[in-house]
Formats: sequence, structure tokens, C-alpha cells
Amino acid sequence: MLKNLNSKHIQRFSYKYLPQFPISPNSPKLGFSRSQIANYRSNFPTTIMSSSKTIVLRSSDGETFEVDEAVAVESQTIKHMIEDGCADTSIPLPNVTSKILSKVIEYCKKHVETPNADEKVAEEDLKSFDADFVKVDQSTLFDLILAANYLNIKSLLDLTCQTVADMIKGKTPEEIRKTFNIKNDFTPEEEEEVRRENAWAFE
Amino acid sequence: MGSGLSSFLLICNSTTTAPPVSPEPGLGDLPESVVGYILLHLTPQEICTLASLNHAFHHASLADFVWESKLPKNYEMFVSRVFDDDKFCYNLCKKDVYAKLSTPTFIDGGTKNVWLDKGTGKACVLISSNGLAITGIDDRRYWSWISTEESRFCSVAYLQQIWWFEVDGEVEFPFPCGTYTLYFRLQLGRSGRRFGRRVCNSDHVHGWDIKPVKFQLSTSDGQKAISQCYLSTDPGKWNLYRAGDFVVEDSKVPMKIKFSMTQIDCTHTKGGLCVDGVVILPK
Repeated sequence: MLKNLNSKHIQRFSYKYLPQFPISPNSPKLGFSRSQIANYRSNFPTTIMSSSKTIVLRSSDGETFEVDEAVAVESQTIKHMIEDGCADTSIPLPNVTSKILSKVIEYCKKHVETPNADEKVAEEDLKSFDADFVKVDQSTLFDLILAANYLNIKSLLDLTCQTVADMIKGKTPEEIRKTFNIKNDFTPEEEEEVRRENAWAFE
Repeated sequence: MGSGLSSFLLICNSTTTAPPVSPEPGLGDLPESVVGYILLHLTPQEICTLASLNHAFHHASLADFVWESKLPKNYEMFVSRVFDDDKFCYNLCKKDVYAKLSTPTFIDGGTKNVWLDKGTGKACVLISSNGLAITGIDDRRYWSWISTEESRFCSVAYLQQIWWFEVDGEVEFPFPCGTYTLYFRLQLGRSGRRFGRRVCNSDHVHGWDIKPVKFQLSTSDGQKAISQCYLSTDPGKWNLYRAGDFVVEDSKVPMKIKFSMTQIDCTHTKGGLCVDGVVILPK
């Protein structure tokens, strides 16, 4: 079995055989202060294995971002690329600019760091983070939607789509076209046909 | 889960062709699949309104994954209970299934009328007085049938006078999950049309202000509700009298409900009441 090991295996398995460091951070003999322990806990929320590996993401404008694997795999697209072995050096993301990618990484980091606990405080904190996260201008919001769709990050897609849904709720098509500068690409006959096929919803 | 996989495949397909993203994308630049995710967060009426926005919105409004999320989880049970031929389900897109289920349909020999509430996707059930067990209904001294256009069932039961007033009923139906309220639709007085105008005859109305009417409701999973109230003394108006609420938690099992309305104090007679039937609506 040893002779079948290649660099990929070593890259993947090596962190399993590292000593389990630190051995017992709670032990006063090792001299860790309370703040060091809290810092350790917040930086290593799941297991030692996932936090020691980083992934490099490359935006469409050539900027690189190094992120923890646990954060990167919030994106199902990136997760599948890693599993298929396409992530040896860096992962190129030609559809995402650095401005949007940095925001997406910020979102994923926050969601990975906050444990899915029933703790009300953590839940409230995440909710207010999400609410502030989408307080951006329209073009950034739509860029985020497209990025979340491309990177397949369900929670970010839900959040951004809900925000847009709230913006268009209760408005007529005419009002929406005006607000969002949308071209009506229907002929009058087509538009009438669509209205007729949806009339059942208003009876 | 299936929609997640298909959307991933969509992403794979789109990345191989990778059209350049416009510098400042707007709502009108979003691809159909993404618009579908936005429509998931809107009500069916809003989706139908936005279908006429542009082509992308129109196509997204036809997507199965959008309407699958609006249909109740037990909609297949609903279809087989309501329609004799449930095969049509397989040939229609989910939007058309939703449209068909939200159109009122008569079932059980015309004694019930059911539909899905368009906004919430929960069931609404009307039960005609024809489908209820009314004590003394066959005795023409007490009860008679009146044709009227004010009832979906075209006729209502009219009470001249009786000592023992009891209306019972039961229904078994695959209600989608949620909370429902059961009402009795009643009118004091007998309305009709004379010379094109609606008139109300309240000659027989008596006895409802002496003792209250008792409503009872019980379900197959042990929920019970009892209430009583005096019928409104405003003749000529159809009113919904609330009998009680019930909660459906498991939509895989059809909920069986028994209900009744009684006024059996035999020291006095009561009469002059039109009974249209029972109404079950989502809360």
C-alpha cells in the first residue's frame, strides 16, 4: 500500500497523523489563559482536521484569496471541485469578481464560525449579520445572487433572493419595470396571453 | 434534493459556456433559474402577476420546482380524494396541478365543495346541509328545502319550528398541515327575491334568544372544542358561527372530524332558521 501513495494522498492524509495539538488546552499546567482558550475554540469550531487545510480561490480579476477548507466548502461547487481533485493549486472562479468574492467569503466565514446551536444569542447575532449583509446597492445584491447561484451556496441564495422578493412584493409589473429598469420584451399580444393563462389566480 | 441536483447540473452547463456577466446586472439580467429562486419566496398570486414582467420571469413562473413548493406535501392524496381520474396529475405541470386544485370542485355526490386556498395552499371544505344529519329533516312540519342562489349548493334547509334542534355531521379529508376553523353558515329569516329586490321574511324567527346554541367539534386524533353562543338577532344576513379550531400535524393520514350544533332545551320551540351548511377554512 505504501508504494501506491502519491503526493495527493500525502496532502490529504498527512494532517490525520499530526499530533493532536494542543493536547489539553484547559489544563492550567500548559499555561493557556482564558482568552487564549476562547480564541482557540472560536478558530477551531469543528475538528482539527478541517482547519489545517486552506484553499486558494482566484477571482475573475486575478486576485487570490486563501480560505479555510471548512469555509470554502460552504460552496457546493467548490466542494465538488475539491472532491474531484481539481483543487491542487488554486480554484479559478471566472464568474466572480474580487469585490463580490470577498463579500461571499465574509458570509461563509461568519456562518461557519457560528455553531448551529439552539443558543438564542448566536441565532440573533447571525440574523442581524444577515440583515446588515444585504444592505448593499442593487447591483451588488444581484452580483451576490449570481455568485451564490454559481457557487451553489444555498443559504446565501435564499437570503439574497428573499431580499429581492421583499423588494418586489406587492408591486405591479409596471412599477417593477420602472424601479429596476427592466425592458418589457413582450409584444402586447404575448402579454395579454400570459395574463389570460394566469387569470385563474385572481378569480 | 432533486431540485438541488438539477440546479447544480444547470450551473455545470452554464459554466461550460460561461457568458460574460454584464458589469452592472439588474433584475432583468437574471437568468431564468435564478428568477425561479426569487419566485420561491412569493405567493402564487404574486408569481402569476410577475409572469407578465418579461420572458425570464414568465419562464421561471412555469418552473415545476417553484410550484412544487406551493403544493401541500400531501397533494397526491388530495388529488385522489377529489378527482376520480387522478392520472391527469402526471401529464400536467405542477403549476397547472395547483391551478386545478385551487378551483372549487364538487365531491361526494355534490354534497361537498373543496378547493385549495390560493394564497396558503391549505384546504377549504364546504359541506352542504344535504350532507349533514339534521334531526327531523324529513318531517315537513319542521323542515323544508328552499332553492336559493345564495348558496353554492343551490338549496338550503329551512326550519319553521322545532323543539329538539340538532344538526350533526362528519367528514374525512386529507387536510394539508395547518390550523383550520369550522363554521356553521346560518341565516335567521328566509330570504328571497321579489320584483328583483332581495327581501327577507322573518315571520318564523323565534326562540333563539332564550337559550344559547351549543357547538361541538372533535377529531380522530383526540382534539375537542365546545362553545356556545346566541345566534345574531339580525335577520336576513348570512353569518358564519365558529364551532372551533383543529390542528392537522400529520397530513399523511386523512383527518376525520365530527361536529354538531344543538339546541335541545325542550321547554321552548325555535324556528325561522336557514342552514346552508358547514364551512372549514384555514385559520
